[in-house]
Amino acid sequence: MPDNIQKLLNTKICYYNIAGLILELEYPKDIKIDTILPNFKDFSTLNVENKKTTCSICLYDKEPATVQDLGKILSNVSIVWGDQFRFYENDLHYITTIDSGDNLIPWKMVSKKDFSESKVYINTKELYTSSVLSWLIMVAFAQTSLLHKTILIHASTVEYNKEGYAFLGKSGTGKSTHSRLWLETFVGSRLLNDDNPAVRIHADNSIYIYGTPWSGKTPCYINRGVPLRALVRLQQAPENKFHWKTGMEAFIQILPSCSSIRWNKKLFNSMSNTTEELVKNLKIGYLQCLPNQDAAILCYNQINNYK
Amino acid sequence: MKLRNDLILRHVGDDHIIVDPGQDMVDMSKVFNLNETAAWLWEELSDQEFDQVTIKNLLLERYEVTDSQANKDADYLLQYFVDQGLTE
Repeated sequence: MPDNIQKLLNTKICYYNIAGLILELEYPKDIKIDTILPNFKDFSTLNVENKKTTCSICLYDKEPATVQDLGKILSNVSIVWGDQFRFYENDLHYITTIDSGDNLIPWKMVSKKDFSESKVYINTKELYTSSVLSWLIMVAFAQTSLLHKTILIHASTVEYNKEGYAFLGKSGTGKSTHSRLWLETFVGSRLLNDDNPAVRIHADNSIYIYGTPWSGKTPCYINRGVPLRALVRLQQAPENKFHWKTGMEAFIQILPSCSSIRWNKKLFNSMSNTTEELVKNLKIGYLQCLPNQDAAILCYNQINNYK
Repeated sequence: MKLRNDLILRHVGDDHIIVDPGQDMVDMSKVFNLNETAAWLWEELSDQEFDQVTIKNLLLERYEVTDSQANKDADYLLQYFVDQGLTE
Protein backbone atom coordinates (compact mmCIF):
# COMPACT_ATOMS: atom_id res chain seq x y z
CA MET A 1 0.00 0.00 0.00
CA PRO A 2 1.43 3.46 -0.83
CA ASP A 3 2.62 5.46 2.17
CA ASN A 4 0.11 8.29 1.71
CA ILE A 5 -2.87 5.91 1.66
CA GLN A 6 -1.47 4.11 4.69
CA LYS A 7 -1.24 7.49 6.43
CA LEU A 8 -4.80 8.44 5.52
CA LEU A 9 -6.12 5.23 7.02
CA ASN A 10 -4.24 5.75 10.25
CA THR A 11 -4.84 9.42 10.87
CA LYS A 12 -7.69 11.82 11.46
CA ILE A 13 -7.94 15.52 10.70
CA CYS A 14 -9.83 18.15 12.62
CA TYR A 15 -10.17 21.90 12.19
CA TYR A 16 -10.39 24.81 14.58
CA ASN A 17 -11.41 28.37 13.87
CA ILE A 18 -9.39 30.81 16.01
CA ALA A 19 -9.82 34.55 15.40
CA GLY A 20 -11.30 33.62 12.03
CA LEU A 21 -8.15 31.72 11.02
CA ILE A 22 -8.18 28.00 10.34
CA LEU A 23 -5.96 25.64 12.30
CA GLU A 24 -5.69 22.12 10.91
CA LEU A 25 -4.67 19.30 13.20
CA GLU A 26 -3.79 15.86 11.93
CA TYR A 27 -3.25 13.09 14.46
CA PRO A 28 -2.97 9.32 14.81
CA LYS A 29 -6.55 8.02 14.90
CA ASP A 30 -6.32 6.22 18.22
CA ILE A 31 -5.64 9.51 20.02
CA LYS A 32 -8.63 11.07 21.83
CA ILE A 33 -8.01 14.64 20.79
CA ASP A 34 -11.00 16.14 22.67
CA THR A 35 -9.66 14.67 25.90
CA ILE A 36 -6.20 16.12 25.33
CA LEU A 37 -7.39 19.52 24.14
CA PRO A 38 -10.63 20.28 26.02
CA ASN A 39 -9.84 24.00 25.77
CA PHE A 40 -10.17 23.76 21.94
CA LYS A 41 -13.71 22.39 22.00
CA ASP A 42 -15.51 25.69 21.41
CA PHE A 43 -13.25 26.39 18.41
CA SER A 44 -13.93 23.15 16.60
CA THR A 45 -15.21 23.64 13.06
CA LEU A 46 -16.00 21.46 10.09
CA ASN A 47 -14.37 23.91 7.72
CA VAL A 48 -17.34 23.48 5.41
CA GLU A 49 -16.50 26.71 3.61
CA ASN A 50 -13.16 25.14 2.70
CA LYS A 51 -11.30 28.14 4.01
CA LYS A 52 -7.56 28.15 3.51
CA THR A 53 -5.62 26.68 6.40
CA THR A 54 -3.44 29.24 8.18
CA CYS A 55 -1.65 26.85 10.49
CA SER A 56 -1.32 23.11 10.10
CA ILE A 57 -0.01 20.80 12.77
CA CYS A 58 0.65 17.10 12.35
CA LEU A 59 1.15 14.85 15.36
CA TYR A 60 3.44 11.82 15.26
CA ASP A 61 3.75 9.25 17.99
CA LYS A 62 7.31 8.41 17.08
CA GLU A 63 10.27 10.25 15.65
CA PRO A 64 11.70 9.35 12.26
CA ALA A 65 14.69 6.99 12.33
CA THR A 66 17.04 9.64 10.97
CA VAL A 67 17.88 12.08 13.72
CA GLN A 68 17.51 15.67 12.61
CA ASP A 69 20.24 18.24 13.15
CA LEU A 70 18.77 20.70 15.64
CA GLY A 71 21.01 23.52 14.45
CA LYS A 72 21.83 26.58 16.51
CA ILE A 73 20.23 27.14 19.89
CA LEU A 74 18.43 30.49 20.00
CA SER A 75 16.91 30.37 23.45
CA ASN A 76 16.62 28.24 26.55
CA VAL A 77 14.54 30.70 28.53
CA SER A 78 10.82 30.17 29.02
CA ILE A 79 8.58 31.61 31.70
CA VAL A 80 6.21 28.65 31.38
CA TRP A 81 8.65 25.75 31.06
CA GLY A 82 11.81 27.05 32.75
CA ASP A 83 14.88 25.02 31.80
CA GLN A 84 12.81 22.26 30.14
CA PHE A 85 12.53 24.51 27.09
CA ARG A 86 14.88 24.84 24.09
CA PHE A 87 14.43 26.70 20.82
CA TYR A 88 16.66 25.94 17.83
CA GLU A 89 17.05 27.05 14.23
CA ASN A 90 18.56 25.10 11.36
CA ASP A 91 18.56 25.78 7.61
CA LEU A 92 14.89 24.94 7.07
CA HIS A 93 13.16 24.85 10.44
CA TYR A 94 12.64 26.21 13.89
CA ILE A 95 12.64 23.43 16.45
CA THR A 96 10.98 23.75 19.84
CA THR A 97 11.67 21.08 22.45
CA ILE A 98 10.26 20.55 25.93
CA ASP A 99 12.00 18.01 28.14
CA SER A 100 9.53 15.53 29.49
CA GLY A 101 9.13 14.87 33.17
CA ASP A 102 10.46 11.32 32.89
CA ASN A 103 13.71 12.46 31.25
CA LEU A 104 13.10 10.14 28.32
CA ILE A 105 11.99 11.54 24.99
CA PRO A 106 11.46 15.28 24.87
CA TRP A 107 8.48 16.79 23.10
CA LYS A 108 9.62 18.22 19.80
CA MET A 109 7.99 20.56 17.33
CA VAL A 110 9.64 21.03 13.94
CA SER A 111 8.19 24.10 12.21
CA LYS A 112 8.65 25.70 8.82
CA LYS A 113 10.27 29.13 9.13
CA ASP A 114 6.91 30.88 8.92
CA PHE A 115 5.27 28.33 11.28
CA SER A 116 2.55 27.62 8.71
CA GLU A 117 3.31 23.90 9.04
CA SER A 118 4.64 22.02 12.03
CA LYS A 119 5.31 18.42 12.94
CA VAL A 120 4.92 17.60 16.60
CA TYR A 121 6.55 14.47 18.00
CA ILE A 122 4.54 13.69 21.06
CA ASN A 123 5.60 12.13 24.30
CA THR A 124 2.93 9.41 24.51
CA LYS A 125 3.38 9.00 28.26
CA GLU A 126 2.56 12.63 28.95
CA LEU A 127 0.02 13.11 26.20
CA TYR A 128 -3.02 12.94 28.49
CA THR A 129 -1.46 14.48 31.57
CA SER A 130 0.37 17.60 30.43
CA SER A 131 -0.53 20.82 28.64
CA VAL A 132 2.53 20.71 26.37
CA LEU A 133 0.58 20.01 23.18
CA SER A 134 -1.79 22.93 23.69
CA TRP A 135 1.21 25.17 24.39
CA LEU A 136 3.14 24.03 21.31
CA ILE A 137 0.10 24.69 19.12
CA MET A 138 -0.09 28.15 20.63
CA VAL A 139 3.56 28.81 19.76
CA ALA A 140 2.99 27.84 16.12
CA PHE A 141 -0.34 29.64 15.79
CA ALA A 142 0.93 32.82 17.48
CA GLN A 143 3.80 33.10 15.00
CA THR A 144 2.10 32.24 11.73
CA SER A 145 -0.99 34.35 12.50
CA LEU A 146 1.30 37.42 12.56
CA LEU A 147 1.35 37.12 8.76
CA HIS A 148 -2.44 37.63 8.83
CA LYS A 149 -2.46 40.86 10.85
CA THR A 150 -3.27 38.90 13.98
CA ILE A 151 -1.34 39.12 17.23
CA LEU A 152 -1.69 36.88 20.23
CA ILE A 153 -1.36 39.39 22.99
CA HIS A 154 -0.59 38.77 26.65
CA ALA A 155 -3.63 40.41 28.20
CA SER A 156 -6.78 39.92 30.24
CA THR A 157 -9.86 40.93 28.30
CA VAL A 158 -13.35 41.97 29.31
CA GLU A 159 -16.32 42.22 26.98
CA TYR A 160 -18.83 44.94 27.82
CA ASN A 161 -21.61 46.33 25.60
CA LYS A 162 -20.34 44.12 22.78
CA GLU A 163 -16.88 45.68 22.85
CA GLY A 164 -13.54 44.43 24.13
CA TYR A 165 -11.25 46.06 26.68
CA ALA A 166 -7.79 44.53 26.95
CA PHE A 167 -5.54 44.98 29.97
CA LEU A 168 -1.80 44.47 29.52
CA GLY A 169 0.93 44.29 32.09
CA LYS A 170 3.83 42.31 33.41
CA SER A 171 3.10 39.05 35.20
CA GLY A 172 1.82 39.79 38.67
CA THR A 173 0.63 43.32 37.86
CA GLY A 174 -2.99 42.41 38.44
CA LYS A 175 -4.46 42.08 34.94
CA SER A 176 -6.87 39.35 36.05
CA THR A 177 -7.70 41.30 39.19
CA HIS A 178 -8.54 44.39 37.17
CA SER A 179 -10.78 42.33 34.87
CA ARG A 180 -12.54 40.86 37.89
CA LEU A 181 -13.17 44.40 39.19
CA TRP A 182 -14.86 45.25 35.88
CA LEU A 183 -17.06 42.16 36.16
CA GLU A 184 -18.05 43.19 39.67
CA THR A 185 -18.63 46.83 38.72
CA PHE A 186 -20.33 46.69 35.32
CA VAL A 187 -23.44 44.58 35.08
CA GLY A 188 -23.46 42.65 31.81
CA SER A 189 -19.70 42.57 31.40
CA ARG A 190 -17.97 39.23 31.08
CA LEU A 191 -14.50 37.80 30.74
CA LEU A 192 -13.53 37.07 27.13
CA ASN A 193 -10.05 35.71 27.83
CA ASP A 194 -7.69 35.99 30.78
CA ASP A 195 -4.24 35.56 29.24
CA ASN A 196 -3.81 35.26 25.47
CA PRO A 197 -6.57 36.77 23.35
CA ALA A 198 -5.94 37.47 19.66
CA VAL A 199 -6.09 40.98 18.24
CA ARG A 200 -6.82 41.08 14.53
CA ILE A 201 -7.01 43.89 11.99
CA HIS A 202 -9.46 42.90 9.26
CA ALA A 203 -9.39 43.84 5.57
CA ASP A 204 -11.85 46.69 6.26
CA ASN A 205 -9.42 48.00 8.95
CA SER A 206 -11.77 47.10 11.81
CA ILE A 207 -9.91 45.91 14.89
CA TYR A 208 -11.32 42.89 16.73
CA ILE A 209 -10.30 40.96 19.80
CA TYR A 210 -11.03 37.24 20.02
CA GLY A 211 -11.12 34.64 22.72
CA THR A 212 -8.70 31.74 22.11
CA PRO A 213 -8.05 28.26 23.53
CA TRP A 214 -5.29 29.78 25.67
CA SER A 215 -6.28 31.65 28.80
CA GLY A 216 -3.56 31.06 31.39
CA LYS A 217 -4.82 29.67 34.67
CA THR A 218 -8.43 30.70 34.06
CA PRO A 219 -10.48 28.22 32.04
CA CYS A 220 -12.15 30.77 29.77
CA TYR A 221 -12.05 29.46 26.23
CA ILE A 222 -14.64 31.40 24.26
CA ASN A 223 -14.86 31.35 20.48
CA ARG A 224 -16.06 34.90 20.01
CA GLY A 225 -14.74 38.18 18.66
CA VAL A 226 -15.81 41.73 19.44
CA PRO A 227 -14.57 45.14 18.27
CA LEU A 228 -11.63 46.19 20.42
CA ARG A 229 -12.36 49.46 22.23
CA ALA A 230 -9.01 50.07 23.92
CA LEU A 231 -5.73 48.59 25.09
CA VAL A 232 -4.66 49.66 28.57
CA ARG A 233 -1.33 48.85 30.20
CA LEU A 234 -1.63 48.47 33.96
CA GLN A 235 0.90 49.39 36.59
CA GLN A 236 0.44 48.99 40.33
CA ALA A 237 0.50 52.34 42.11
CA PRO A 238 -0.53 53.97 45.42
CA GLU A 239 -3.30 55.89 43.64
CA ASN A 240 -5.45 55.57 40.52
CA LYS A 241 -4.31 57.65 37.58
CA PHE A 242 -5.01 57.31 33.87
CA HIS A 243 -2.91 58.59 30.94
CA TRP A 244 -3.38 58.34 27.19
CA LYS A 245 -0.36 57.29 25.16
CA THR A 246 0.44 58.22 21.57
CA GLY A 247 3.29 57.72 19.12
CA MET A 248 6.35 55.86 20.33
CA GLU A 249 5.04 55.64 23.89
CA ALA A 250 1.88 53.90 22.71
CA PHE A 251 3.97 51.55 20.56
CA ILE A 252 6.11 50.48 23.51
CA GLN A 253 3.07 49.90 25.69
CA ILE A 254 2.01 47.17 23.27
CA LEU A 255 5.26 45.71 21.95
CA PRO A 256 6.38 43.78 25.08
CA SER A 257 2.99 42.03 25.28
CA CYS A 258 3.04 40.66 21.72
CA SER A 259 3.94 37.04 21.07
CA SER A 260 6.56 37.25 18.35
CA ILE A 261 9.92 35.56 18.14
CA ARG A 262 12.69 38.09 17.65
CA TRP A 263 14.87 35.95 15.40
CA ASN A 264 12.65 35.92 12.34
CA LYS A 265 12.73 39.26 10.51
CA LYS A 266 9.60 38.58 8.48
CA LEU A 267 7.47 37.61 11.47
CA PHE A 268 8.84 40.36 13.71
CA ASN A 269 8.34 43.07 11.07
CA SER A 270 4.86 41.78 10.38
CA MET A 271 4.07 42.06 14.09
CA SER A 272 5.56 45.57 14.21
CA ASN A 273 3.51 46.63 11.16
CA THR A 274 0.33 45.49 12.87
CA THR A 275 1.35 47.23 16.11
CA GLU A 276 2.01 50.41 14.15
CA GLU A 277 -1.53 50.22 12.74
CA LEU A 278 -2.95 49.58 16.20
CA VAL A 279 -1.23 52.71 17.51
CA LYS A 280 -2.73 54.74 14.67
CA ASN A 281 -6.28 53.48 15.02
CA LEU A 282 -6.79 52.42 18.60
CA LYS A 283 -6.94 54.07 21.99
CA ILE A 284 -3.89 53.12 24.03
CA GLY A 285 -4.01 53.92 27.72
CA TYR A 286 -1.78 53.58 30.75
CA LEU A 287 -3.45 53.05 34.10
CA GLN A 288 -1.64 53.36 37.38
CA CYS A 289 -3.97 51.62 39.73
CA LEU A 290 -4.97 50.14 43.03
CA PRO A 291 -6.92 46.87 43.07
CA ASN A 292 -10.25 48.61 43.71
CA GLN A 293 -13.50 49.40 41.92
CA ASP A 294 -12.54 53.07 41.55
CA ALA A 295 -9.76 51.94 39.22
CA ALA A 296 -12.24 50.09 36.99
CA ILE A 297 -14.63 53.07 36.96
CA LEU A 298 -11.83 55.54 36.18
CA CYS A 299 -10.58 53.32 33.36
CA TYR A 300 -14.05 52.89 31.83
CA ASN A 301 -14.90 56.59 32.07
CA GLN A 302 -11.61 57.70 30.56
CA ILE A 303 -12.04 55.39 27.60
CA ASN A 304 -15.64 56.32 26.97
CA ASN A 305 -15.25 60.09 27.40
CA TYR A 306 -12.29 60.05 25.10
CA LYS A 307 -12.43 62.79 22.47
CA MET B 1 29.40 52.22 5.57
CA LYS B 2 25.71 51.38 5.19
CA LEU B 3 22.63 51.52 7.35
CA ARG B 4 21.38 48.09 8.41
CA ASN B 5 18.82 47.05 5.83
CA ASP B 6 16.92 44.81 8.26
CA LEU B 7 15.67 47.82 10.21
CA ILE B 8 12.53 49.73 9.30
CA LEU B 9 11.90 53.38 10.09
CA ARG B 10 8.33 53.69 11.35
CA HIS B 11 6.21 56.77 11.77
CA VAL B 12 3.86 56.51 14.72
CA GLY B 13 2.01 59.67 15.61
CA ASP B 14 4.65 62.42 15.73
CA ASP B 15 7.46 59.98 16.40
CA HIS B 16 9.94 58.34 14.05
CA ILE B 17 11.05 55.06 15.51
CA ILE B 18 13.23 52.09 14.73
CA VAL B 19 12.73 48.75 16.48
CA ASP B 20 15.81 46.57 16.77
CA PRO B 21 14.81 43.09 17.95
CA GLY B 22 17.73 41.74 20.02
CA GLN B 23 19.11 38.48 18.65
CA ASP B 24 20.69 37.17 21.85
CA MET B 25 19.24 34.54 24.17
CA VAL B 26 18.11 37.27 26.53
CA ASP B 27 15.73 39.80 25.04
CA MET B 28 17.62 43.08 24.63
CA SER B 29 15.28 44.55 22.03
CA LYS B 30 15.53 48.31 21.62
CA VAL B 31 13.29 51.06 20.29
CA PHE B 32 15.01 54.21 18.99
CA ASN B 33 13.27 57.55 18.69
CA LEU B 34 14.79 59.59 15.85
CA ASN B 35 14.32 63.33 15.59
CA GLU B 36 13.07 64.93 12.38
CA THR B 37 16.55 65.39 10.89
CA ALA B 38 17.80 61.92 11.78
CA ALA B 39 14.63 60.35 10.35
CA TRP B 40 14.99 62.30 7.11
CA LEU B 41 18.66 61.30 6.89
CA TRP B 42 17.75 57.66 7.51
CA GLU B 43 15.52 57.70 4.45
CA GLU B 44 18.10 59.54 2.32
CA LEU B 45 20.92 57.20 3.31
CA SER B 46 19.14 53.87 3.08
CA ASP B 47 20.42 51.40 0.49
CA GLN B 48 23.60 53.33 -0.19
CA GLU B 49 27.21 53.54 0.91
CA PHE B 50 27.89 56.73 2.81
CA ASP B 51 30.38 58.50 5.05
CA GLN B 52 30.55 61.69 7.10
CA VAL B 53 30.90 63.79 3.94
CA THR B 54 27.69 62.33 2.47
CA ILE B 55 25.79 63.37 5.58
CA LYS B 56 27.40 66.80 5.66
CA ASN B 57 26.47 67.48 2.03
CA LEU B 58 22.90 66.33 2.59
CA LEU B 59 22.60 68.69 5.55
CA LEU B 60 24.03 71.59 3.53
CA GLU B 61 21.56 70.95 0.73
CA ARG B 62 18.53 70.86 2.99
CA TYR B 63 19.26 73.29 5.80
CA GLU B 64 20.50 76.86 5.96
CA VAL B 65 23.59 76.04 7.98
CA THR B 66 27.22 77.02 7.90
CA ASP B 67 29.82 74.57 6.71
CA SER B 68 31.24 74.14 10.20
CA GLN B 69 27.79 73.57 11.74
CA ALA B 70 26.95 70.94 9.09
CA ASN B 71 30.32 69.34 9.77
CA LYS B 72 29.61 69.16 13.50
CA ASP B 73 26.07 67.83 13.02
CA ALA B 74 27.29 65.22 10.53
CA ASP B 75 29.90 64.04 13.05
CA TYR B 76 27.22 63.77 15.71
CA LEU B 77 24.65 61.93 13.57
CA LEU B 78 27.22 59.51 12.16
CA GLN B 79 28.44 58.75 15.68
CA TYR B 80 24.85 58.22 16.84
CA PHE B 81 24.08 55.70 14.07
CA VAL B 82 27.34 53.83 14.75
CA ASP B 83 27.07 53.90 18.57
CA GLN B 84 23.52 52.56 18.50
CA GLY B 85 24.51 49.69 16.22
CA LEU B 86 22.34 50.87 13.36
CA THR B 87 25.09 50.55 10.71
CA GLU B 88 26.75 47.55 9.12
